[in-house]
This record gives sequence, structure tokens and C-alpha cells, in this order.
Amino acid sequence: MSSNPPYPAGTVVAGKWRGNRYVVERLLGRGANGTVYLVKREGRREWYALKVGYDTLDLQSEINVLTSLQSCRKRNEHRARRENPLSSFLLEADDFVDGNNVPFYVMRYVQGKPLHLFLSKNGPSWLGLVGLKLLNNIRKLHECGFVFGDLKPENVMVSDYGEAELIDFGGASPIGRSVKQFTEWHDRGFWNAGSRTGDEGYDLFAFAILCLRLLNEQGLKTAATQLPQTRNVEELLRLARTLPDKKLASWLILAIKGGFSGSEQAMQTWKEHIYTPRTAKQENIATPRWLKSAFALSLFVLAITMFWLFRL
Amino acid sequence: MKQILLITDGCSNVGESPVMAAAHALQEGITVNVVGVVDYGTIGELGSREIADIAKAGGGISRIVGTPQLAQTMQMMTRKTVVQTIQLAVNKEVKKILGEGSLEELPPLQRSQVVTVVDELTETSDLRIALLIDTSASMKPKLSAVEDAIRDLALSLEAREGKSEIAVFHFPGRLSDGADLDMDWTNDVSGVRSLFSRLRMKGATPTGPAIFRVLEHYRYDTLDGYRDRRPAEDQGEGEGMIGGYVV
Repeated sequence: MSSNPPYPAGTVVAGKWRGNRYVVERLLGRGANGTVYLVKREGRREWYALKVGYDTLDLQSEINVLTSLQSCRKRNEHRARRENPLSSFLLEADDFVDGNNVPFYVMRYVQGKPLHLFLSKNGPSWLGLVGLKLLNNIRKLHECGFVFGDLKPENVMVSDYGEAELIDFGGASPIGRSVKQFTEWHDRGFWNAGSRTGDEGYDLFAFAILCLRLLNEQGLKTAATQLPQTRNVEELLRLARTLPDKKLASWLILAIKGGFSGSEQAMQTWKEHIYTPRTAKQENIATPRWLKSAFALSLFVLAITMFWLFRL
Repeated sequence: MKQILLITDGCSNVGESPVMAAAHALQEGITVNVVGVVDYGTIGELGSREIADIAKAGGGISRIVGTPQLAQTMQMMTRKTVVQTIQLAVNKEVKKILGEGSLEELPPLQRSQVVTVVDELTETSDLRIALLIDTSASMKPKLSAVEDAIRDLALSLEAREGKSEIAVFHFPGRLSDGADLDMDWTNDVSGVRSLFSRLRMKGATPTGPAIFRVLEHYRYDTLDGYRDRRPAEDQGEGEGMIGGYVV
């Protein structure tokens, strides 16, 4: 069932149950559970992403996660202000009639570049901002009772202006359950650093590896290709310590050791110590003494001048 | 749920047919998965056909991979087989209630509910996996990778909510043609260390008799632990749907 040749541009994907028709523009990528296309609803102008599943059960499981995320997000937004009307995870799910009834679902299209390409193009100075946005997304996910699981640069889309969005929720699972999908390097179990039970710390660990990978891929690779018996957290901590940004290094060390109480605390710490807006850096420069005396002198001269003027 | 995961790199050459042994396993409610491990060259047409046949007879999946993909493949197979077994049972119930055949034919809302149940059971049902490792001479360079993969599998199983246990056998055994038990049922990851360090490699590959040996172990153990596990199983019946499948 898997890895069929991709649908060519112009293919119309018509739903069996709801009857909506989507026109394929191009292939966007492949995930573990399916192939994602850029589509337009027939007769409309908005772009969507459409995921065609390899396996009905796996895709439905993913759809279930998205549905509960959606309703959780709606509840939260209702309480607070509405954040973004276009932030819906899931528009609809259906089966492709002409394509052997393969299941598909439609979601919003996240425009941008995968995180690693974004940073290599725009420079690592963006990490503070993009990392904060990413952590905020992870925090919101945790609030809804899910862990992301397969967190890696490929699953993070960044817009030209540094908006970060998670894509591919195929690996997401309820907190407390076992993690369904993971990538070796980003996996806590792979590093003998803890269990594969999905908790907030699991995502934070993967996030720390993601940062290490973005800043020192070669170092991480060397550590990862060691013998499994000798592969351990110490290697990761050593790598983190070599980073020039000491505040980032200590954040990463804490995340790798599982030292944060949760993603809320992790995000706040990141915000205070790593994400530093430019304005905070401008310090008040003390007025030099020579300027003060010069000012006093000019006042004195003015007074004399005026005195001299009025006397005449 | 009961599974056997056979890890081998070639053809059986002693004793009963492994395909028959796998068919017996399936008859007793044990799914048999097979991984063929090849690093250099190919496994040969005969070997790869046997691997596929054993899995087919045992109701499981077969894959042929190199050692780098071993850990990932073993987990994928285990998970997939668990899902399959549950899906089979759930589908049966769904058919009874709705009269519809497979998951694919269900309308979205019902499908979503069925999958929720399948996901729930996949995570929470009890699971036992007997790993059966071929330790004939040609497997020797791959054994450390196998051990690492077992440790990795145990780690994933440990994260499940349901009770998960593994046992490890290797074949050929010391005395008989069958298999020797290296590690009895456990859910302790730290137990998976230096399993095969004291092995003396032999040439023969009695895959069939080895599978029979594992079946025996399952049978023996079920009798032994029958009384202890009964009450827990009764509570599990609350699900109603797959009582027969929960060990």
C-alpha cells in the first residue's frame, strides 16, 4: 500500500463521504503515515495541505489526535483572545473515491522552510526567536495533553519572518503513553537518558538535541555513532558545554538532564535568558562629566551675555 | 497477546520444518515474525523464501534488513503485529454490530471510534514476546547488534501501559537440537546485557525444533502462572471485546 508513485499535478482528489474536490498542485513531502500535497479546493483560491495515508488505521489515529487538539485549542482560544483564525489543524477527513478509497485529510498549509534550512540560510542568530516560538507551540500541545514525540528540524516549518509551526503529528501521543514514532538521534532512549514514555521532558530532550544538531551537527554525529554501550548523556552534556553561548548551554544541559518541571518553565527560562530582544541590550549611558561642566559653562556664559545685553 | 520474533540469517538445515512449527504457533494463538539479518551479500533465494514462508505460516510479518536497521525493524514489526492482532479481533466485533466489513468501509465517525478503541488496546493489552535468536557461526559478528536491538525493544515495551515481557532464546542449544533459554520472562530492561557472551557457536540451524521449544515454554508457563493471572484477566474483561486475546 505504501510508496505509490505521487499523484501528478492536476489530479482531482474527490471525497467519498463529503464530496469535496481538491486539485493537486504539487508534492510537499512524505511523512511516516502518508504523502502530503499542496492542493486547492476546486473553485477556491486558498491553499491547503492534503495528506494521503498509507494505512487507514495509522492515518485515522493521526486524525483522532488532530481532532482532539483542535477542540482543545478551540476551548483555550475561547477563554483567551482568538489567536489565529487560520490555525485549524484539520479541515476535513475523507476517502479518495477514485484512488482505491485511500483515506486522506485536509489541513492548513504551513508555508516556509524546514528549521535547519531556515537557520542555515538566515544564520543561527534566529535561534533565540524561533526556539521561543517553537517552545510555545510545544507548551500548547502539552497543555492539551499530548506529546509531539518525533521532534526534529524536519518537522518544524519556519516562515520567512520566523513563525515556527510543527508539522506532521503522526508521532503525537497522549501524555503518559508510549511514544509512537521517534528518530534515533532525538530519542531519549537512544542516549540511555530515560524511558520512551511520552512526558513533557521527552519533547524537551528532543528539543535540546535539535538545538545541538543545528549548532554542531558534526559533534552530535560523532557522539551518536559510538558503540551503544558507551553512548551516553555525558557526551551530550560535553557537547552542550562547548557551545559559545553559555546561557544556551546551561538551558540545554538542564533539558537533557530532565531538570525542567515542564515545558512552561522551560519556555519561561528560554524567554528570560536566551531570547533577548535588541531593546534590552541598550544600556543607559551615564552622562560624562565634561558634558555636564560644558553645559554649566554655557549656562554661565548665557547669563553673562544676558546681563551684559540688558545693561546696555 | 503472544509473539515469537525469530532473528536469523539463513536457511534451517536440521529437524522439522520451521514453516510447520510456525503454523503450530499460530494455531496456539502465537504470532511469528521473522527478521532476516544480512550485512554483506544476500540471504539467498532459498533463505529469503523460507523467511517469508515462516512469517506467513505464523500469521506475522517478515523483513530482511542490515544490522543498522535491526532495532527499528524489530520495533516496527512488534507494534504492527500487535495492532494487527487487535484490529482482527475488533473488526470481528464491528462486523457483528454494524454488519460492515473492514475499517476502510466504515464512515468517518465510526471509523474514528473504532480506531480509538484499537489504539487504546494496543497500548494497554498485555504482551509477551519470545525472541528466538539464530546463533549459528555466521551470525557471530551480528550478535552485538542483535543484543542492542533487544535492549532497544525492551525499552520501548517498558514504556507501554500494559504489562510487557520478553524472553530470549538462542539456537542451536547446547544439548538438544532445540533452543536454550537465555533470559526468562522479564520486563526489566537492565537484564538485557551480555546475553550471548558465553556462547559457543555451532554450525547447524535447527529453526523448526527451536520454534517448537519456544511453544513448549509458552505452554508450560501458561499452566504454571494460570492461577495468578486469572483475576487480573477477569478485570480486563470489562472491555468485553477481545477477552480471548488478552493473555
